[in-house]
Amino acid sequence: MKISYNWLNELVPTHLDIDEFCEKLTMFGLEVEEVVQPGKELDNIVVGKVISVEKHPNADKLTLCQVDVGKSEPLSIICGASNVVKDILVPVAKIGAKLGDFEIKKAKLRGVESFGMICSEKELGVSDEHSGIMIIKQDIEPGTPFADAMGMNDSIIEVEVTPNRPDLLGMIGVAREVAVMLNAEYEHPEIAFEESEVKTEDEISVIIEDSEKCPRYCARMVKGITVQPSPAWMQKKLIASGLRPINNIVDVTNYVLLEYGQPLHAFDYTKIKDKTIVVRIAKDKEKMMLLDDTELKLHSENLLIADAEHPLALAGIMGGLDSSISDNTRDVVIECAYFDPKNIRASALEYGLQTDSSYRFERGMDPNSLTEVIDRAAQLMQLTGGGEISSGVVDCYPHKIEPKILPLRVSRTNGILNVKMTADEVENYLNKFEFGTKKASDDSFEVTIPTFRPDIEREIDIIEELARCYGYNNVESHFWINRIDNKQKRTVVRLAKNHLISLGFYEVNNMSFASTEDLNALKIPENDFRRNIVELANPIGEQFSIMRSTLIPDLLKNAALNLSYKFENFKLFELNRIYLKEREDTYTEPTYLTGVIVGEFDPFYWKEKQRVTSFYDVKGVVESVLSKIHCTKNVTYKVSNQPYYTNDSAADIFLDGKTIGSCGIIKDDVLQSFEIEASVMLFDIDLSRIIPLYNEKAIRFKEIVKYPPVLRDIAVIAPSDIVIGTSAQTIKSVAPNIIKDVRLFDVYTGKQIKQGCRSLAFNITFQSETLTLTDKYVDKLFDKIVKKLSLVHQIELRQE
Amino acid sequence: MKEQIQEILEEARRSIPSCVSDKDLEELRIKYLGKKSSLSDLLSKIGTVSKEERPQMGALLNKTKKEIAQLIEQKKLDLHEKTDTSRARGLDVTMPGRPLPIGAKHPLCQIWEEIEDIFINLGFEVAEGPEIESEYYNFDALNTPSGHPARNPQDTFYLKGGKLLRTQTSPMQIRVMEKFKPPIKIISTGRCYRVDKMDPSHLPVFHQVEALMVDEGITMSDLKGALDSFVKRIFTSDTRSRFRPHFFPFTEPSAEIDILCINCKGAGCKLCKKSGWLEMGGAGMVDPAVLEEVGYDPEKYTGYAFGLGIERIAMLRYGISDIRKLVTNDLRILKQFQ
Repeated sequence: MKISYNWLNELVPTHLDIDEFCEKLTMFGLEVEEVVQPGKELDNIVVGKVISVEKHPNADKLTLCQVDVGKSEPLSIICGASNVVKDILVPVAKIGAKLGDFEIKKAKLRGVESFGMICSEKELGVSDEHSGIMIIKQDIEPGTPFADAMGMNDSIIEVEVTPNRPDLLGMIGVAREVAVMLNAEYEHPEIAFEESEVKTEDEISVIIEDSEKCPRYCARMVKGITVQPSPAWMQKKLIASGLRPINNIVDVTNYVLLEYGQPLHAFDYTKIKDKTIVVRIAKDKEKMMLLDDTELKLHSENLLIADAEHPLALAGIMGGLDSSISDNTRDVVIECAYFDPKNIRASALEYGLQTDSSYRFERGMDPNSLTEVIDRAAQLMQLTGGGEISSGVVDCYPHKIEPKILPLRVSRTNGILNVKMTADEVENYLNKFEFGTKKASDDSFEVTIPTFRPDIEREIDIIEELARCYGYNNVESHFWINRIDNKQKRTVVRLAKNHLISLGFYEVNNMSFASTEDLNALKIPENDFRRNIVELANPIGEQFSIMRSTLIPDLLKNAALNLSYKFENFKLFELNRIYLKEREDTYTEPTYLTGVIVGEFDPFYWKEKQRVTSFYDVKGVVESVLSKIHCTKNVTYKVSNQPYYTNDSAADIFLDGKTIGSCGIIKDDVLQSFEIEASVMLFDIDLSRIIPLYNEKAIRFKEIVKYPPVLRDIAVIAPSDIVIGTSAQTIKSVAPNIIKDVRLFDVYTGKQIKQGCRSLAFNITFQSETLTLTDKYVDKLFDKIVKKLSLVHQIELRQE
Repeated sequence: MKEQIQEILEEARRSIPSCVSDKDLEELRIKYLGKKSSLSDLLSKIGTVSKEERPQMGALLNKTKKEIAQLIEQKKLDLHEKTDTSRARGLDVTMPGRPLPIGAKHPLCQIWEEIEDIFINLGFEVAEGPEIESEYYNFDALNTPSGHPARNPQDTFYLKGGKLLRTQTSPMQIRVMEKFKPPIKIISTGRCYRVDKMDPSHLPVFHQVEALMVDEGITMSDLKGALDSFVKRIFTSDTRSRFRPHFFPFTEPSAEIDILCINCKGAGCKLCKKSGWLEMGGAGMVDPAVLEEVGYDPEKYTGYAFGLGIERIAMLRYGISDIRKLVTNDLRILKQFQ
């Protein structure tokens, strides 16, 4: 539904600028889809009068026009349209005007100069009409800005009207809604005219044969009317609402449709046989020719407006060609009716005819406003075309449709919305909606629902209206979740556990007590943080005299136990708190993730020789767990000096330069003190340091790079003391944005390699996000890598 | 004619199953079903049969043709199955595939996660707190006066220096209510400690889950409803609960919670010691003194709390009768919980 803001303001002054108004309207339930200000783009376009039309001297299809644009000298303009003639008013785009992206300039066409352009309706955004230039039918002073003349200095608000609200398909309905919204008053049009002595009922009779499909039919006559262009004010409003002016009679029916939402039809009186209108269902295979020249073959479900012999209109959808208004029409019969929505919907669907009229009837019009609407139409026809209005309305309404009466409880309303509206407030809102109210008790009303609101059927429907009045956003929000829950920790813990389990680890659960003997067995020195122990005053035994400050001893005990049960290769982990004394009477309880690999990492497989487990297995576990919990950035590894690891077989793990744990192979004498006769690898990670960094919302989709990667291998001879991590970093540093990956795939020491060196081979992935890499370019980078490795680390390319 | 048809069928029944190749089978198909087959021949002569017999003969001919076609089709499948097996010689599908690792969460932790998820589903938030607590949070704020027997070193672990190991997860109630205004709807889970000798039903270290809800208009019905929802989900949907009057310092009225024995459904068995009911934990309406202690208006707000032992739930769910099994970390046990 298109709403002209100017027109709306005539009915209910809003005193709001357009943006503010639209915001309010949307929040009230009428969603604004678009606001168009057509006049904004029409600078330098004026109304011009064509004074003369000559043939272009050098072109058959062009004409040279002199156009009066209100200045002393007319403009000389070349026009290609065939409908340009002398003495018409046309829109003229003067030099400097812009039509979309196209700017009008002085131009020379086949040797003759042109100082502007005469425009079509489409070019000005008035309609889609482009078959010729636009001809302005009102009497307007040449030189008047076109936007003013057409009423286009307006904001056209396109609102989405939900199908349950047919009352909002007319300006008066919208004004009523806006008045409720702004707590203002709106104006009904003043309807007053003189009726002639001719009685309508003597001139025309109406027979409803099917009162289910047509519960009410009203008719009135205007005699001796002149068919002519309608006045400028009416044309402006029609154009603003997206309709094209045709003549005063058609325009009035359209205008009243826009105003009240109620479709009307006008018949030429002389074409109604026997002065009789019959509302009947069609005979099988009865034919009729519609206004738009299509011929329909009808059947008994179609409702017709007919005279004594022939169909005049397909009821509620479209008029017939034969009875339509022509320039010679003098006497007009106005139809204003209420049709059954279901029947209109079915017929409109059947013939593919969605008209402004059917659109409204199928949503349900107000059966009880027909006489007001028909009077308004008669008044406007007389106003625009003269003539005499016959006396009285022929009103065929066999069974009056009464408004519904529904009970409403104020307490129920407040209860559902959790608001505190008083009975007076509620009544005031209801009356604004033009709902009748009668107090039934202190808490309840009997509410009369006007027939223009078919959507209100139950108490809860009224409560919805009241909620809109109160303002959805003024209703209190009871929000109370997510203040306490530590989802971050739960997520990290579960991810880590699930990951380890899929690697074959079993989770263990040990009690929190320990003894200092456990720490001694691990050779933990006196200055280690794990010696800040928490001592119990009343332990249940010497071996339970402290709170454990590390999970390692318990895991080693679990390993020993299970070895004694003849398990040879297994993996265990525990995720639990440790307890440390920070200062006198202050303690911390960090969460640790600690695990052991006992024996071989891989399960035994009959088909292959058992792979020997090494330090890199436990490091692999650490790397994969950390990456599962998004802890990959700024993680580094250095040789560990923890006293319980075998020399040169352990690493400390650092996050942002601070140690967060370690992994490695447990020393033999430590194993002995735990009575373990198997190899054991250990990892030990302080999860509390990682949990706060975890952010699942950090995962963002990245567009896949369109350009193909280039893969190159590099084999080098490196001094043995250069660690691989550093050389890989050096390679990447040559072009961090293009070198996406550096992967080690071979390490070799042997006869061919000189003493004190080893051969390393890397797989390097080059990829640009902006272009396809050429071989030449990759070659260049490759050379750079070779040079840098040599310069920084004395690493040389391996010569075959 | 009838005898002729019968003869052909008998022959086909013999020759088709004994055929050994696709080629032989095709020859048989042509012989019995082809255009020049004896059956086709008989069909063309059907006109010679008397009018009365004709429909019967026609039906017999069709039936025979159908049966032979089926025999051939079946034979075709049999032939192919045999070639497939021989073609894939060397594959033994009964040999074990590459063994990929399988691990498991500890049974206690599995139940713990399940409990958390049930309560999260019911709209509870999960709160965690310190295990090393002060006397204030563990006792004073929970309306447990000094001199109360629970505060004895025979029952509670104390640290050198005066702090203690929490005996219940309830101190978290106080910590949360101190920090946040109602409505509160939390569970607090975790380790608790009591001075107990290890025996089949006691460990000095155990786990609790405790629920707390405080808001305007919270009633004992809400308590019973939350508890019932929980036990029906963690056990079975026909699990019933009952409340027995009891005493806890921080709830009023207080109750002990029993559920209908999940083993005998109330008939009486070894598990429930013939009572038909299993004791599950404690519950009650939060004592106004506790609400006052954290600065809530006890006239405006009410609340409920209940606490359950996670070991107890795990033992019932898995049928473990000795609580110590949950801390032995024996792979022979752990491997049962894959």
